[in-house]
Amino acid sequence: MTQRQNVTPDGPAVVVHDLRRTYGLRTVIQNLDLRIDRGEFVVLLGESGCGKTTLLRALAGLDPIDGGRIDGPSRPAVVFQEHRLLPWNSLWRNVALGLEQNDNRARASAALAEVGLGDRLDDWPRNLSGGQAQRVALARALVQEPRLLLLDEPFAALDALTRVKMQSLVKELVAKHQPGVLLVTHDVDEAIVLGDRAVVMRNGAIACEFTVSAAARAHRSHADAIALRDRLLIELGVGEGQVAA
Amino acid sequence: MPNVSMDVLVARSEPVSVRRGVTARSRSQIVWGRTQLLSWLVPALLVVGWELLARLGEIPPYILPAPTKVVATGIALIQDGTLLPDIGISLLRAAAGFAIGGFIGFALGTAVGFSRLAGVLLDRTILMLRAIPFLAVLPLVIVWLGIGEGAKIFLVAFGVVFPIYMNTVLGMRQVDPKLLELGRVTGLSNWQLIRRIILPGAMPSILNGIRYALATAWLALVVAETIAASSGIGFLAMDAREFLRTDVIVLVIIIYAGIGVVADSLARQLERRLLAWHPNYATEARP
Repeated sequence: MTQRQNVTPDGPAVVVHDLRRTYGLRTVIQNLDLRIDRGEFVVLLGESGCGKTTLLRALAGLDPIDGGRIDGPSRPAVVFQEHRLLPWNSLWRNVALGLEQNDNRARASAALAEVGLGDRLDDWPRNLSGGQAQRVALARALVQEPRLLLLDEPFAALDALTRVKMQSLVKELVAKHQPGVLLVTHDVDEAIVLGDRAVVMRNGAIACEFTVSAAARAHRSHADAIALRDRLLIELGVGEGQVAA
Repeated sequence: MPNVSMDVLVARSEPVSVRRGVTARSRSQIVWGRTQLLSWLVPALLVVGWELLARLGEIPPYILPAPTKVVATGIALIQDGTLLPDIGISLLRAAAGFAIGGFIGFALGTAVGFSRLAGVLLDRTILMLRAIPFLAVLPLVIVWLGIGEGAKIFLVAFGVVFPIYMNTVLGMRQVDPKLLELGRVTGLSNWQLIRRIILPGAMPSILNGIRYALATAWLALVVAETIAASSGIGFLAMDAREFLRTDVIVLVIIIYAGIGVVADSLARQLERRLLAWHPNYATEARP
């Protein structure tokens, strides 16, 4: 059975049952189960090609699924690795894309203010830095008040300092809006700083998952954080002693 | 290395760099003005030479009249009330043909650019029709529609359809697929997808098509009016040929050229307005 359906308003953000996805003869995802509650921040880690982006695209409704089922919103919000702003629209029109109410400008303005760009409503995307553009993309996702927010390596193209600032902004806004979040990343430290739960994917299925303790999230030098980092690196196959010199 | 340290100094001390910027700009403006002036030198000399040769009788008036004579003829024709109505009717034909051909080309282009099925159904037929040099259908058009307004408007429209069609399809196919994907994720309907993402993305190419189509429309009009018309400036020129009025003929040629230039500059202004977001057309961001 292959189906997607909406869940009740109070239920979890998304529940995936026994998902399967194939490209031709190659099976990219199989027997995958995942549940994300509202307000929960789940970080998905895995080597390149393990199927994590495929899972995100399936959740986003961008790709069909070949088996199992996804109980979740028909239209989750997505922030991609690239900002994907429309170059021919001002910032507020970019944020308001897909809004259907009359007070679009006011809502877009509030969303832009949340990401610190409330004074740039009528500016063009080409006048933004990479980090600013990604903040607009975040505002565009959050203005929809999504039940599920999908983040596909949204910090990967940013410089290290901007990335740290973006991470704390995302953390703050997710705490405020309380969507269920799935963040796909390669970055183990990012997973510990942001995640309530870190999930490792391998060969198209969930290999293991760890709850991130509040102490680990708050202090990167805390013993919990160090232990979790080592454990995640081992699961990803790049722990100490695993990589041949 | 002294040069490097100089640059660092200039970059750091603001007043110096500002002053440098101002003088550099005014200098470049002067250079720009001079270049402009210089670029008009050869055309001006040609006109003066033409005038002199005509006045000295080196060029007989029935071959090529003096420029001043052409201007005088123009004024006379305006005064006796024949020139302006003829220009008006020519412009009307061009506008009507352009509107009809432009609409058809744009509608077909949008359908084929958006829908694979429409592409499979229509594209081959349109490309086959496009292989016809549009001026070659003129005799057939005269048989069908006589030498009335219909024939001229048909020919102009026929010439306009293809450049608009081709560039609309091309532009729509070049829209960034990542933006289309974003549109789908955001839940846009097909109509919203076309209006918010596909058409704006295709706009540079569409406007390019419009500029090209303006030139074809004009060419079509000249040919149609020259061969089959009883009014309009092309007719004026053919009528003048009967009486060896080369001054009128030259006047008409100049009017054709002038209107073509005006139409192109209008299209360019449209480009600047519609593509204000585009870095290549931005005026505000120019240094």
